[in-house]
Amino acid sequence: MGFLDNSGDILLDAVLTDTGRMRLAKGDGSFKIAKFCLADDEINYGLYDKTHASGSAYYDLEILQTPVMEAFTNNASSVKHRLISISRTNLLYLPVIKLNTNGDRADHSCGVHGASTVHVVAVDSDTETGLSATDTTAGIGVLPGETITNEDSCILVEEGLDTTEISFSYAIDSDLNESQYIVEMDNRLGSLISFTGTSVTVSYIDDDNIASYYLSSTTHGTTMINSLGTTAIDGCSIAGPRGTSLKFKVKASLELNTSQYLFEQVGDTLYYLNTLATATATTGYAEGTNEYRVIDSNIRITGATTGASINVPIRYAKKVKS
Amino acid sequence: MASSYKTFSTNDVVSTKTLLHEAIPLTGTVVSGTYVDGATETNIKNYSHGMFQSVYDYPYLSSSANHIFDITIGYNAGSKMSNPAHTQNAKKLNLYNQMAQVLVGHDSDGNIRAFDEDGNLTEGSKINSAIFLNFSRLLTKDEIKKGSFSLVMAVGQGHEKAASHTEQITITDDNAQNDYRVNSPAGDYAILYADSTKGSDLLADDSGDQKVGLIYYHAGVVVLTSSIFLDENTGDLGGAHVGILDTLKHDVEFFRAGAGATGYESLPEAFTGSAISSSCDAIRQRISNISFNNTTELNSTIYFCRAQHNEFNYSSNPTYTSSSKIQVKNISSDSPISYITTVGLYSSDNELMAVAKLSEPLKKDPTNELTLRVRLDY
Repeated sequence: MGFLDNSGDILLDAVLTDTGRMRLAKGDGSFKIAKFCLADDEINYGLYDKTHASGSAYYDLEILQTPVMEAFTNNASSVKHRLISISRTNLLYLPVIKLNTNGDRADHSCGVHGASTVHVVAVDSDTETGLSATDTTAGIGVLPGETITNEDSCILVEEGLDTTEISFSYAIDSDLNESQYIVEMDNRLGSLISFTGTSVTVSYIDDDNIASYYLSSTTHGTTMINSLGTTAIDGCSIAGPRGTSLKFKVKASLELNTSQYLFEQVGDTLYYLNTLATATATTGYAEGTNEYRVIDSNIRITGATTGASINVPIRYAKKVKS
Repeated sequence: MASSYKTFSTNDVVSTKTLLHEAIPLTGTVVSGTYVDGATETNIKNYSHGMFQSVYDYPYLSSSANHIFDITIGYNAGSKMSNPAHTQNAKKLNLYNQMAQVLVGHDSDGNIRAFDEDGNLTEGSKINSAIFLNFSRLLTKDEIKKGSFSLVMAVGQGHEKAASHTEQITITDDNAQNDYRVNSPAGDYAILYADSTKGSDLLADDSGDQKVGLIYYHAGVVVLTSSIFLDENTGDLGGAHVGILDTLKHDVEFFRAGAGATGYESLPEAFTGSAISSSCDAIRQRISNISFNNTTELNSTIYFCRAQHNEFNYSSNPTYTSSSKIQVKNISSDSPISYITTVGLYSSDNELMAVAKLSEPLKKDPTNELTLRVRLDY
């Protein structure tokens, strides 16, 4: 998209998204705009210069000169960072959502895979065996995508004020405590399941195959959303006052489980060997060498209350040759 | 409680209707002469059925070409031109009847009415042979604006391009915005009048009241009587075909009959003895200029996105905080600041329906309130 002309009057360039047009075409009344939000996707607040020598009028000079792109019609690409309404004006800290990659987190095996440095989903039982998915030591960071058990690794994110300026023993303010999360992921690749292996009902799948799951502490209980409290937790990623944590697993889609089609279409062109430690451009290694294909993707997690968000990188792996 | 969505109240949404007009100028050189490859006009598409001719603004084999209008001719059974022995007689009859059926409709007995010179279907002169210009929807959009149509047509002797003719008439729907008809099944229409604009003593009635056809605004169709190329003494075709040109003029030498021929044919000779496409070629060569304004009916919904002083002052942008500390603040009593670049419009189930982008960031803090007016056009 091009930049909008910012040389004169302030313009507002509006477009329907693909989802909006789809609902309009349905003609069933589902196209009804009920609410709005404001966002600042292009803004880099790091440019706010509180020490500018010329004074406060110059603090945001660079921010105000930020060129703004035309609107995207893809609903999944727009409005990533929403502005938040909090009636108090004296907040100095805002909560963040952090991915816990500490393998020694007290009650969960939530570390990332050593060679990949991300969470890996083994999409079939062959891959689970090859990557030792059920071994919480050898297979740390590997999520079994086919055979889900209660003991396996999970993805864990934590919400709170990640600062050492305030002790975690202080309770987080109630308006900063996240109780609802929205998880968005590519529905062609996998689906969300709870820590105990229960399927989670998808709320909506858009035209780009992005599935949205709305999770709340009241309906999804302690199997997914937990209060972190004010006592010490080994391996917690939030340094200051804590809100809640969200833990979940990913079940590989049937297509990834049974076919290499998507690995060829959207996957890495390299072949990965021996627990994903090395990559090569060609296949044809000798028998006995484990060979994998992978797809790298993201799972986006957004706090429905605070708007804080995080993209969790995830790698789907399939063993294609023993 | 932190929140990032704000629900619209009934006072925040309003629907409006606006009529937009665009000027559409078509020069005669595009209609005839600009795109020629040897003897072929590459922006003119003829069909094997031979019933009409399509005019494009660029060689039509190119994907850049836009269809601008179609041209054809026809006459009804009441015309003296109708004769089974005449070239493409059935097609010319069919075309007239098809256009009349759609634009004029049927009488109480179910018979197709003829085009009427003044729109009074119960009496008066009929247009029994006609030239049809069907403008594409790309140009006319929802309708042609009443009172805006103008067609400059060469009516002099010879077969040169229109621009070089020294005798031209201008056909307009003068004052149609105040004087139009509504008794057509195809919507509003008005009467076209001719006036001499180049040369003198061209028309038998040069007062500007000479009726020469009809323009159907919603259908985007112009119906011209073939009399515009006949002089007023052309009585041998029957009363309805008496020409509009001054008696001092002769029937226009309409077009050259066949490749290499030196003689010319009059319009009756061409309409009866030649294919439709040949007549269309001749008519196009005589078009010097066409212009009109189109109309687009724009239905809009305006959403007033109101940000009160205590709303939208914080951001979930990852750069907004560093180690959870708000970057635009030094101490907690500093005012929070955010910068708006985007407005997202959502359904009640949180699906993004529309996006609006500001051309530059707007500063939002507790000392100001903003109303962003987002208009969606349908």
